[in-house]
Amino acid sequence: MASGFDESTSSSSSMGNGGNEAGNFECNICFDLPQDPIVTLCGHLYCWPCLYKWLHIHSHSQECPVCKALVQEEKLVPIYGRGKTPTDPRSKSVPGIHIPNRPAGQRPETAPPPNINNFSPHGFGLMGGFAPMATARFGSFTLSAAFGGLFSSLFNLQVHGFPNATLYGATPGFPYGFPNAFHGGHTPFFPQQPANQEQQADNYLKLLLLVIGVLVILALISS
Amino acid sequence: MTSSSAPSRKALSKIACNRLQKELVEWQVNPPAGFKHKVTDNLQRWVIEVNGASGTLYANETYQLQVDFPEHYPMEAPQVIFIPPAPQHPHIYSNGHICLDILYDSWSPAMTVSSICISILSMLSSSTAKQRPADNDRYVKNCRNGRSPKETRWWFHDDKV
Repeated sequence: MASGFDESTSSSSSMGNGGNEAGNFECNICFDLPQDPIVTLCGHLYCWPCLYKWLHIHSHSQECPVCKALVQEEKLVPIYGRGKTPTDPRSKSVPGIHIPNRPAGQRPETAPPPNINNFSPHGFGLMGGFAPMATARFGSFTLSAAFGGLFSSLFNLQVHGFPNATLYGATPGFPYGFPNAFHGGHTPFFPQQPANQEQQADNYLKLLLLVIGVLVILALISS
Repeated sequence: MTSSSAPSRKALSKIACNRLQKELVEWQVNPPAGFKHKVTDNLQRWVIEVNGASGTLYANETYQLQVDFPEHYPMEAPQVIFIPPAPQHPHIYSNGHICLDILYDSWSPAMTVSSICISILSMLSSSTAKQRPADNDRYVKNCRNGRSPKETRWWFHDDKV
């Protein structure tokens, strides 16, 4: 096959043996290890200067050179390795062409610390799950339920409502003006406890709802 | 003959040189089937022997491709022509110019000499008739001043051959 090769390709023979494995990390344009590595959403790796020059100077499209997928600059992902850039950042510059800085990574918020409140009966974290449920339900029955049926609907409410309570998000305001301390005092019994405590918690919740119901009636009467 | 018309002979840039050397090494390790690079000391012009694939109209025929690289390769496509006599093909002109979109509008810097060769062999292999393009005489006459095919405004109309 390549019988005639006596050529002075010695400069590149250093990568000859390991070339294929290293190829996974070569720029798809210059075939070198990327300078300012950047990856497209379609997963193709380039030097930022190479990709920039192709998209802005030589090409008339915004296509990925490998797969022709649309390339949007704000969606490029830079790759930050550990080492410093081994090459002179000006090595790929072209006179008369200004290559802007590589797009920065889009950093999501810092991850929240593990939520120990989920496993502890104390703390206000639980209240957040409980309160919105109460307000949501109250909103519907105060419109429809007569006072005579109030207590029975309260019990139904409790049975259906609480298992899903944690699905509700952060605590909104209390439309009926209940004092926060009231809820705070009962939150330790919120049913994220193990199953054997759930019965007990249910009883407290029933009591709690009754009290809330009474307060709602009072609120309605006084308004 | 037109094949001797060199593209504007500006020396290869450092990036182009670097990349061509890598391509050459890769070619040595893994040459595309049916092709043979003819050694010269000129990195900027490759001459490649093409063997028609067996079972096609061009079986047992050998042609020569001439690949000239521009200063800013791979940002710009190389100029690829057959050194006459060129194979008889509906997309290959008798002066060796090849009507193939990836050599012009559809060039991408991720392509390589090797991938171009495979495309050209595939184009030859899918041919059903050994004939010249309908406008061969007119086109070749237009190119008599040694124009590069890269200056032609090609119209790519046939996606079958």
